Amino acid sequence: MSHLKAVASRTLQLALVLWAVVTILFLMFRLMPGNPMAAYIDPTFTVEQQQALMAQFGLDKPLWEQYFIYLGNLLQGELGQSFRYREPVAERIFALLPNTLILTFSSLFVAYAFGILAGAYLAWRRGSAVENAAIPLVLMTRAMPEFWLGMVLLAVFSFWLGWFPAGGTRPAGADYDSLWALYTSRDFLSYLALPALTLAIYSQGLPLLLMRSNMLDVMKEDFVTMARIKGLSNWTVVVRHAARNALLPVMTSFAIAVGYQLQGNVVVESIFSWPGLGRELVNAVSASDYPLAQGAFLMIAVVVILMNLIADMLYALLDPRISHA
Amino acid sequence: MTANLLSVRDLKVSYRVGNGHIDAVDGASFDVPRGSIVGLVGESGCGKTTVARALTRVIADNARITGGQILFDGKDIAAIPERQMNALRWRDIAFIPQSAMNSLDPVYTVEYQLNEVLRRRGGLSAREARMRCESLFEMVGIEKGRLRDYPHQFSGGMRQRVAIALALALNPKLVIADEPVTALDVIVQRQILDQLRELQTMLGISVILVTHDISVVAYICDRTVVMYAGRVAEAGPMAGVLTRPAHPYTMGLRNAFPDLAGAASGTLTPIDGAPPNLAEPPPGCRFAPRCPFSIEVCSTESPPLAEIVPDHRVACHRASEAPVLREIAARTETWLAHA
Ligand SMILES: Nc1ncnc2c1ncn2[C@@H]1O[C@H](COP(=O)(O)OP(=O)(O)O)[C@@H](O)[C@H]1O
Ligand code: SF4
Ligand SMILES: [Mg+2]
Repeated sequence: MSHLKAVASRTLQLALVLWAVVTILFLMFRLMPGNPMAAYIDPTFTVEQQQALMAQFGLDKPLWEQYFIYLGNLLQGELGQSFRYREPVAERIFALLPNTLILTFSSLFVAYAFGILAGAYLAWRRGSAVENAAIPLVLMTRAMPEFWLGMVLLAVFSFWLGWFPAGGTRPAGADYDSLWALYTSRDFLSYLALPALTLAIYSQGLPLLLMRSNMLDVMKEDFVTMARIKGLSNWTVVVRHAARNALLPVMTSFAIAVGYQLQGNVVVESIFSWPGLGRELVNAVSASDYPLAQGAFLMIAVVVILMNLIADMLYALLDPRISHA
Repeated sequence: MTANLLSVRDLKVSYRVGNGHIDAVDGASFDVPRGSIVGLVGESGCGKTTVARALTRVIADNARITGGQILFDGKDIAAIPERQMNALRWRDIAFIPQSAMNSLDPVYTVEYQLNEVLRRRGGLSAREARMRCESLFEMVGIEKGRLRDYPHQFSGGMRQRVAIALALALNPKLVIADEPVTALDVIVQRQILDQLRELQTMLGISVILVTHDISVVAYICDRTVVMYAGRVAEAGPMAGVLTRPAHPYTMGLRNAFPDLAGAASGTLTPIDGAPPNLAEPPPGCRFAPRCPFSIEVCSTESPPLAEIVPDHRVACHRASEAPVLREIAARTETWLAHA
């Protein structure tokens, strides 16, 4: 029962957050000074032509009416028309979303798998030469600008060694029977490798440092000392008790990392010409294509909010103090 | 077979802090006879936990056993290699910590944690382990349905019972209980102590019960070791030490705690002051700065632990005057006047 209530209140909370995001996005693009369509209105248009264009996009109505139309449309999954492409925003976004998600999750998966293992290892080898060498290195990867890292990887692995293609998602002219066929092809993986690696290197520091410091804290807990007094093996003590407990907060940080990563994607997608939401968002903003920018923003927000929900559920699943309250 | 299961001789444990060190245990000696409960008592900071942990050789990172012998079953376990020591842990020497809440891993069921020692340390099969879990829970009086529960789902008293079950899992010879009932209310304290006593008698094991509360010692112990500032002040049979204490510190402790059985024994008089900073212990008798009976020699010469009557040892320069001092110590003003 209390479980059901928790889920219900959490869902309500998410709905409110989503509504706030939607409203802010609406106001952000409407309240900017000037005619929102200025960039798309030819100066030679007559006033009638301009008004017809505005009417076509619903911009002639009062603000509150626009707001309700906008909300109503959203509920039906309708995100409006792109000024620039003159096609539905939703179509465009859903075509790009998989690319972004694949890039984000594959790089984060690598970053977390590596970060968790390396962080646990460094905590275990606390004070050793390995640790002393590794920590500054990790801090360095955190300080490197993404675009610089991307360029270096591009220069080395693509231009110099020629191991990976320089950008895009598929060889020129390649055609696939389905999206599934594309995403599972070897070509796609080789295109994915460099941008994903760039993001993975950029993001592994967070889980690594977090895991390490959690481990160091957990190792001081009584139950770890007790595990030693029980004569359990070092492996059992470190992995089954210390690492298992230290993992909990790292899993939650995954959700935050996804949000971070979606921002980070903007840079990496641009460097590697990766057709994702981030790159599209930048293009849309610089081209004053407000419906598209608004749609892309919204999509990113939805992913972040969903990830928070997933992280909560994951935490509850992994922590019996929550699941067996 | 030696009469004493455990004999600690001149044990020294020191902590490295900054550039210096704290000699938290500075030459402690005491015995634990087979089949008895020995109370290790003293105020907080006297080195009781340090002694208890040194016996398992699982000590803080900055701690080191710097001297002495720990004769367990006639073998000096302070000197054996770590591998041999680890083989003794839990199979021969088990531990009950103060807070079962923090000492049980929150993410596993208690059954998992029992199984862990039964299977990994005891070599039991899955079937044997399950049966053993059930009989252990029966022994400590928890219904076996609760085996699947997580530590946080138990009350404080129940968790302490789980800790006892865990300690008894592999039939150890010695159980070290570090303040096992300190976090509990008096009624639950009594229940847990009764149970501990019952199981100890039934299994014929030895128990070292570490506590700051002398009434706990009076309640269930056979013998008492009183520690002060890293040394043993007085040791002997419980009745002898508590009814005829010969060390002023023991006399003071006795005045400072209510009776666990509930009998009001006059007003409580705490000993003024606190144990010394062990980074710079006072010269001579370490209790001298707080002792109402200290004389000149006390602050220059450290009193040796000597037998005053058979099996009753005291480290005090005025031990021979004990009967007189006991009478003076029984008066509240003695401790107030000194303050
Ligand atoms: N890890 C440690 N590092 C430094 N000093 C410590 C450490 N643990 C305990 N001490 C010190 O050693 C002394 C004895 O502590 P402890 O054995 O815990 O006493 P008790 O259990 O009797 O309260 C105290 O002065 C305490 O501050
Ligand atoms: S030796 Fe002196 S100071 Fe120490 S307890 Fe005995 S009388 Fe008191
Ligand atoms: Mg203690």
